[in-house]
Formats: sequence, C-alpha cells, structure tokens
Amino acid sequence: MKAIYKITLLLTFSILTSCGGVPEEKTKSIGAENTFSVEEVLEMVARENDVTRTLYTKAIVGKGKKQGMKFDEDWRKDDVEAGPLPALFLRGVATSIRKSSVPLGLYLGSDFPVNAANKFEGKQAELFEHIKKDQKAQFFYDEDQKLHTAMFADLASAGACVTCHNDHPQTTKSDWKLGDVMGATTWQYPKDSLSYKETVAVLNSYAKGTVDIYMEYLDEINAFEKSEKPQIGDKWPAEGNYLPTAEVFLDSVKKLSSYETMKRLVVVK
Amino acid sequence: MFKVGPLRKRQVLGGIIGSILGGAMFYIFTLDTTEEYVSIGPMNTGHESLSCFACHADAKGNLMQQVQSNVSHAFGARDIGVDFGTQDVTVNNCLECHDRPNDRHPTHRFSEPRFKEAVSHIDATTCITCHTEHEEERVSVASIDYCMNCHQDLDVENDPLDISHKTLIAKEAWFTCIQCHDFHGNHKYEVPEKLSDTIPMESIQRYFDGGEDPYGSVKKYIALSQEDWLKALENK
Repeated sequence: MKAIYKITLLLTFSILTSCGGVPEEKTKSIGAENTFSVEEVLEMVARENDVTRTLYTKAIVGKGKKQGMKFDEDWRKDDVEAGPLPALFLRGVATSIRKSSVPLGLYLGSDFPVNAANKFEGKQAELFEHIKKDQKAQFFYDEDQKLHTAMFADLASAGACVTCHNDHPQTTKSDWKLGDVMGATTWQYPKDSLSYKETVAVLNSYAKGTVDIYMEYLDEINAFEKSEKPQIGDKWPAEGNYLPTAEVFLDSVKKLSSYETMKRLVVVK
Repeated sequence: MFKVGPLRKRQVLGGIIGSILGGAMFYIFTLDTTEEYVSIGPMNTGHESLSCFACHADAKGNLMQQVQSNVSHAFGARDIGVDFGTQDVTVNNCLECHDRPNDRHPTHRFSEPRFKEAVSHIDATTCITCHTEHEEERVSVASIDYCMNCHQDLDVENDPLDISHKTLIAKEAWFTCIQCHDFHGNHKYEVPEKLSDTIPMESIQRYFDGGEDPYGSVKKYIALSQEDWLKALENK
C-alpha cells in the first residue's frame, strides 16, 4: 500500500507542476529602475496642476465672465447652462484619473470650504495649519490606506477665486485676499518610488484628466439651448466670445509648465 | 496496475462512483443554463438578467495552474497567490456599468484621509456597503442615518424647507434626508418645501426592498445593460 501512496503523491506532484502555474506579473522590467521618489513625482504633478488651474481660472473663468460666460457649481444640471467652477474642474480631473490605470488620488479641501462637507479633518487639518503658515508642501504616509500622501497649498491666484468665494451665499469666510492659501490639494500614491515610465504615466493621466473635463465643458456648451455659444477654436475669452479647443488649452498648459517638468525629468541623479 | 483485495472492493467502487459523480456535477454546474442553482441568492433589482460572468470574470490561468500557483505561494515559492476560479468582484466591476460624471457621492472621493472617521462608521469607498448583491433588493444599508457622518455642519442659506435643515440636524432627524435626497443624486426629483409633503419612509423602504421608485422614473443616468456593457468592452 505504501507504494500506492508514493505513486499517488508522485502523480499528483507531477500533474501539479507540469502545467507551470499562472505566469507571475513582473513588477519590474529591465531598465525600469525606480528613478524618482514619490515626493518628487507628486511635486511635479502638483506643479502641473497649479499651472493648469491658474490658466483655467484666469484665462477661461475670469476672462470668460467678462464676456458674459457663466460658471456654476450646478453646471452639470440639465437646466443650468454654464461651465465648471475651478474647484469642480479639479474634481473632474480627479475623477478622470481614477478611471485610468494610474493609482493616483487627487482631492481638494479647505478649512473654510464653501461646502461644509469639504472641510479638512484629522491629519489633513493638522498639516494644513503648517501649509497656511509657510506654504510648503507636507508629506505623510497614510497607514490605514497604505498610501503616500502629499498636500500642496492652493492659492487664490486670480481675482475670480477671491470674488466668487467672498460673494458665495454659502461661504464660511468672506474676506479672502489675492495670494491667500484658500485650501490644499491632497495627492496619494501607493509606491514610495516610481520608475521613469510610471512617472510619465502619472503626468499623462493628469494631462488626460484636464482634457477630459475640458471636453465635458465643451460638450455642455454644445448642448446650450438658451445661452449664446462661444466660438470654439484657437482664440481665448480675452479676445471676445471665444473658447480654445481642448488641444489649444493643453498646449498652453504644456508651454507654461513643460520647462520645469522637463528639467526634473531629464536630470539624472 | 493496482491490486484490489476483495475487502477493498466496495471502497474502490465507492471511489469510482464518487469521482464520476463529482466530475458530472462539476460539468453540469459550470454550464450557463445552471447558473441560478450555483448562485448564492437571487439577484438584486435591476440585475435579474445579468449572467454570472458580468461580475465574476474567470481568473487567470486554468484550474490546475491556479492550484499550483497557490500551493507554491503557500510554500513561499511564489510572492503572490492567484485568484481561484473567478476573480474577486471589486468596485471597478460595478463602475463599468454604473459610473457617471454627476454622481453626488462617488466611491473614490471617500478614499481621502479626512473621511477616515466617517468611513469607520460606513464604508462609502465600496458599493457593497449599501448594495449587497444576491439579496433580491435594491438597497441593503443597515441604517439610513448615514448622512450624519459628514453633514453635521450643514447650513442651507435661504432654506426653502418649512422646518429648516439646521433644525432637523439639531433634532438628529437624519432619516428625513432620504425623503428628498437620494444618495447618488440620480433622480430628477423636485424637492417639496414642506416636510409633510416629502416621500414617506414606507415608500422609501419599499423602494429599497425592490419596489416602485417614489422619486419618479426620470433619471439622469441609466446604467448599462449587459448587452451595452459588452459592446463598450469591445470598443475599448
């Protein structure tokens, strides 16, 4: 009988090993050594975000309002013919990133938010106090979610930020000034270091997010029934009732931010 | 090859019958036509016509490979184990049909650290906290006072409601929120100005249990059918 057990064991072992198992996913490919720390990458993408948001707030929302264009927190409602306010533009970018394969989280909050549910709490509230003092980025590791987290100051970079927030019926603070730290963006990523390819993927997912939400805005304009539709092409609201296409908008973001980002990407430590 | 003694005959016969029966059962219960007998319970409202594969995608590799990989993992010869049979169902499976830009409370927003406390009370980062599948209902949340976890400081300017939101919150009447506001904001519902005109809790409970929609049938977004989902996958 012992022979039977041995044969059965041998047979089972050979059947189990003969098929080779499910191929393991390689975590690293050749030449893909981790080049950047997560802090460096989040600083890069946060810088791109600063440029994008400032451009959208100043050149689209600020100048657009002067042309009679409307921007509303309920811009997605069927009966509202308007574009997204800057905070909702950022939320749109964040939603698009979450749909991509890049595990990057992006959030916006404040200690005096228009929507009380967006108020910082816990660790974020604690670090935001430091950010308000020196405007320096804050990093921490979120133990619960096992995510590397960074917070960057979100400044009142355009007159439109100040006036809209001060005049908003739900505002919890009405004496905002240009240059104030109005809130902070929070970014999360699961790894402590990223390869060159992963870094570019993070930057690309942000850029794609920008295009996605901007395209949604252009689609919204396309569906306007009562309001006058701005002409969409290569001109900006500063020149009249115009809006740039998504490509023109992204090109401008790249022109404004690419030097800084490129410098960081090409410098080999 | 094997010598079977007369005393072992019944054991061997039993073994053969067991193997044949086991094989037949494995074959029969993996057929598409027998899915309902394998399911752990009837599908939720709106999901009745879905096939198992819509959520339970086949795991990578064949069964033998999966067994070998997990045995190797158990003995430390492999870093990560693999799914056995089917892949785990995640939020992403739900979002393939239900994701929409105007969701008032998308799951990903609650991953932000500041929701840590709220999420410890109700895990809004995952759909199944409120929509447990195979329960033959629409909503399975344990208690509908979940708004209290984030909206304690709500103060509506020029509040149109006869009993103000602030008063309702002070009275901790959190069950009244749902009488006007569905969590995902997917209904085009005109909210009343009198609390007495809001949707009664019985109607809301019936809706949760799979009954008629008290907010009306006009919705901002209709989830993809299995057919549309498959088409969307093909176009990806």
